[in-house]
Amino acid sequence: MALSKRQRAKYTRYAIYVLSVVAIVAMALLVDWTRLSNAMFKWEIVKKQFPDILTGAAKNTVIFTILGFAGGLSFGLLFALMRLSTIRPYRWLAATYIEIFRGIPLLVTLLALGFGIPIATGWNWPNPYLQGAIPLALVASAYMAETIRAGIEAVPKGQMEAARSLGMSYPRAMITIVIPQALRIIIPPLTNEFVLLIKDTSLISVLGVTQATKDLARFGRDGVNSTANATPLIVAGLVYLAMTLPLTQLVAYMERRAKAAGK
Amino acid sequence: MARNTRVLAALAALSLVVAACGGSSDSSDTTAAAGGSLELVKDGSLTVCSDAPYEPFEFQAEDGTWTGFDMDVMRKIAEANDLELEVTVQPFDGIWLAPAAGKCDVVASSMTITEERTQAADFTDSYFDAFQSLLVRKADAETYTSLESLAGKTIAVQTGTTGETYANENAKDSKIQSFDEASAMFLALESGQVDAVLQDYLINKERADKQGTSAVSVKFEETPEQYGFAVEKGNTALLQILNKGIQDLRDSGDYDTIYNKYFIG
Repeated sequence: MALSKRQRAKYTRYAIYVLSVVAIVAMALLVDWTRLSNAMFKWEIVKKQFPDILTGAAKNTVIFTILGFAGGLSFGLLFALMRLSTIRPYRWLAATYIEIFRGIPLLVTLLALGFGIPIATGWNWPNPYLQGAIPLALVASAYMAETIRAGIEAVPKGQMEAARSLGMSYPRAMITIVIPQALRIIIPPLTNEFVLLIKDTSLISVLGVTQATKDLARFGRDGVNSTANATPLIVAGLVYLAMTLPLTQLVAYMERRAKAAGK
Repeated sequence: MARNTRVLAALAALSLVVAACGGSSDSSDTTAAAGGSLELVKDGSLTVCSDAPYEPFEFQAEDGTWTGFDMDVMRKIAEANDLELEVTVQPFDGIWLAPAAGKCDVVASSMTITEERTQAADFTDSYFDAFQSLLVRKADAETYTSLESLAGKTIAVQTGTTGETYANENAKDSKIQSFDEASAMFLALESGQVDAVLQDYLINKERADKQGTSAVSVKFEETPEQYGFAVEKGNTALLQILNKGIQDLRDSGDYDTIYNKYFIG
């Protein structure tokens, strides 16, 4: 019996549905749910994580992220403008910086700057938040510089030309005409950057943590050790999700709005 | 006991999930059965979990061979049983659970036998006596001669170690900063992030001798600890082999040879 193209597509789709359902059911049957919840989601341990996980660990993660993002955005903007500059050494400098910090793993940057700078100079980090957040910001700025540059380049050239022909200076035209339009374009990728930063803060604990500076992931790992149960890690994961989900939803909303307004 | 079953349940559940997702079922049966014949994670090899580098107990020589006191002892025991030594590096935190998770046959990682750990793993007879100690920058060697002198200062410890427990119990006036690995603690001390490193004496001493910028200011001799090798709870077959191996090394004088190689020569 020959099937038409459309029929074949339909049956293939049904087959995929059936297979997915079978796979899910098989998984549900194979997994011993009471055992799983005992090992990974024990309610009394979940309750014990609060409020410390929010008042201590999540707060630290937020501090690291905000410091990292603020620093990353300001340096990123600076390097983006340098890359677009007509002055060659600026472009070279920015390109070198971006390539270096984008190419080296954050873990290495953290160790190299967090410990290396004090060893090399004798200068000491004034507080543990800066020790972790500054390397984070430097790496973030390299990524953000490229995002911002792409955004600025996406603003039609005519905008700059029109502003200049009205007598605006280049910096003034950049700041008041081009960058605001670029920002609207790059808000979704920047939010993505922010979400990545939230998760990257979990690496900062290689520099050592005190009870007061523990981030979420470290809090969860220590909890696994002290309770001999995986629950604290799962709870930490859920708190990360609670932080990132509103952000990603916000971006989706903004993108829908931008689409509606732009067309 | 309650805690132990929880741990095993956690590991078993994790491996179940892995098995369910990956469609394989080899993750739970590979470790030795209780009291039965010897079963190894990898046939023909004694697979050892260790938090390395931790000189002079476990580290890699320049050509890549695993050396150090623990590694030499393990290699001797492996050779006596016609096995190859295979080393898997693991972070120390919770390392005693690695055999139960099927990652290795035995943990050899300068690990002190403690009440808590024996609830989750079986330990061999002690093969080494160890002490906690303080490593400080050379300039501070005369200043930080006790835990009291470190009040208000920062002490580095490694997560999950007896050093961490010791610091939490005895250095309540100090700020305690915990690290995943020993090497990061040394960097933190040299970079001035912390004022002292609290951990096993011989590791601190090795660092002081080798590096030259730090010194061991205190050895806490009143609280000795015993190192043991750990196997999965109930793996008596392997435990017997290891205990016999340790005893044989002591009897033959090989133990002293290895000891002298790292701690006297």
